[in-house]
Amino acid sequence: MKARLLLLQIAAPVVAILFGMLISSIIILAIGRNPLEVFGIMVRFSLTRTDSLFSILFKSTPLILAGLAVAMSFRVNLFNIGVEGQYYIGAFFAAYVGFTLRGLPPLVHLPLALAAAMIGGMLWGLLPIVLKLRRGAHEVITTIMMNYIASALLLYLIADIFRDPAQAGTPRVRTPDVAGAARIPSLGPFFAQFGLTGSDVQKVNALIIIGIVLAVVLAYALARTRFGYEVRAVAANPLAAEAAGIPNARVQFLVFMLSAGIAGLVGLNDILGFFGYLDIDFPKGLGFLGISIALLAKNHPIGVIPAALLLGFLDRGAQGVQFFARVPKETIVIMQAIIILAIVVAYELMTRYVRVQRKREAQLGTPPGPQAAMQPGSAEAGS
Amino acid sequence: MEYLTSLVSLALIASAIRVTMPILLASLGAVYSERGGVVNIGLEGTMVMGTFFGAVGNYFFAEGFPGLVRVFPDLAPIAGVLAAILAGILFASIHALVTVTFRVDQIVSGVALNLLAAGLARFLNILLFTQSTQSPGVRGFTPIDIPLLRDIPQLGPLVRGISPMIIAALLLVVLSQWVLLRTRFGLRLRAVGEYPLAADTLGVDVARMRYAGVLLSGALAGMAGAYLAIEQAHLYFEGMTQGRGFIALAAMIFGNWWPVGALGASALFGYFDALSLRVVRLPVPYQFISVLPHVVTILVLAGFVRRAQMPAADGVPYTKEEE
Repeated sequence: MKARLLLLQIAAPVVAILFGMLISSIIILAIGRNPLEVFGIMVRFSLTRTDSLFSILFKSTPLILAGLAVAMSFRVNLFNIGVEGQYYIGAFFAAYVGFTLRGLPPLVHLPLALAAAMIGGMLWGLLPIVLKLRRGAHEVITTIMMNYIASALLLYLIADIFRDPAQAGTPRVRTPDVAGAARIPSLGPFFAQFGLTGSDVQKVNALIIIGIVLAVVLAYALARTRFGYEVRAVAANPLAAEAAGIPNARVQFLVFMLSAGIAGLVGLNDILGFFGYLDIDFPKGLGFLGISIALLAKNHPIGVIPAALLLGFLDRGAQGVQFFARVPKETIVIMQAIIILAIVVAYELMTRYVRVQRKREAQLGTPPGPQAAMQPGSAEAGS
Repeated sequence: MEYLTSLVSLALIASAIRVTMPILLASLGAVYSERGGVVNIGLEGTMVMGTFFGAVGNYFFAEGFPGLVRVFPDLAPIAGVLAAILAGILFASIHALVTVTFRVDQIVSGVALNLLAAGLARFLNILLFTQSTQSPGVRGFTPIDIPLLRDIPQLGPLVRGISPMIIAALLLVVLSQWVLLRTRFGLRLRAVGEYPLAADTLGVDVARMRYAGVLLSGALAGMAGAYLAIEQAHLYFEGMTQGRGFIALAAMIFGNWWPVGALGASALFGYFDALSLRVVRLPVPYQFISVLPHVVTILVLAGFVRRAQMPAADGVPYTKEEE
């Protein structure tokens, strides 16, 4: 049973990905192209070139963080759809600390910028969670509204208040440069020792290590610590947890703040790791991709890493497909959404199948005849 | 003082009525879906499909039948609205299949649908119009004047040059209120949302009623999108829904899951939406004015959700029997 369960756990996402490929094949056929050829180009472009592999790592870095942020909130039955807005504000906080403070050593300045980003994310997550716990306002709608407000606020801050005076007269709308001490170091020099060089290698920075370490720490905390136990208890049965003395509201509040704090870091891959300033056109939509990743990973912190790599691969592959096969890259966006829908259905069917199997096995252990009907407890005893 | 009078001018109210309509139509849809017990966060994506197919149906009908359109110019927008409704129903049927048949978490399915809508709209736009974010311009309905009232000059913008879709939407509010309160279908739909087990015992097909609720919400959200594209912007462009599908959900909650309540709540949002569009010369940066509807949404959810009477089984998948 255990081995079969593990097999199912792996089979569900594979089936969902195949289903996503099937639907996109139909779309590709409909626009008169050969799906096998298109997928071939996608795989060859993404996986056989050094620049592509490192580009996938760079793209996956914020996705790991966004996926972790969403997954943590899902773990306590909350939907933090506000990762998007939280990372806008986090990115601004980090940029602000980066360009106003000068002359600090990197060992002080960078941690300060990271902390600022987390505080920014938490501040933006505070209102929705307080309104949820105090007033019952549904967090899905309030966090989405906070996303729109964050986007407008960011526009105002970058364009009207903190616009780099050096860019006046140019169409560029961005903050001043972040101090070198607040930049996240590139891993390029490390890879250079192995003869791996290029602009895409240079872009990969230390934030990916933070993301992976965070995933491992969270997985450990959830599985092995008292706090993790409380989180699992609240998720499994809020009433029972409350009765056992675990305060639901407090656990939900803390986990949501953790989620929003991690969300605050999402934008830093580009702001502190690559550009070194906050531009009005900085990458958006990463928070929504985080939702897909959390769903793919079934909210498991370690699962978030391969899920983020998969989305990074799809994103890079989409560029290749657009450039070399001249198939619109939106085909791949559609494939992503189909995979998500298929995977949630697959997980649901899997859970239901396992439940049925357990029940059947339990029933098989029951001796037949009227005796069984008189002893309802025998079903449990037989399993 | 000048600020204050401009806050209640007739022109502003007329504009508020216009921008209320997409929120109202989508929140009517949300009422049907949630009365049946299915939360539909995918309303935003459904609305995106409505904006796109509203413009597409309108544009290609006008291209395909130029002679017909010359004689009856309103046929093209009608084709657009029908296309949007059909697209909305098809799109919502995915939500129904995933949440009612497969009993997947309703929020998760809705979120995935919103992602799908964004990708699908871009992809189809490239196929049809060779660019990703915008359709060509389309013609709206011929505006109409309200008989009798149109001669009162004081009412000016409120009774003259009205979109027929506004009248249709207001009639739909009355119709929906009647359907939910007085018809067999409405009663069954509400029973399924309140206490599916009891409804099931009495022979009501729970899954079928829930499908009906979700598909109706798709049709209405599609129509809401069509209004945005055909009557308001006269084209489709990416991101034009601006979260109105989500605001509509808040309006439905504020309206206590009733069509007439949704009308009142949508009007409130519409007023702030109109205010944000007009930028009454207030000494405040425009970015802050533009998020007024979103701020009001949060305030409304925070202040009023407590006294709301939501359907008891709203958001809970119904399992006929444990297999």
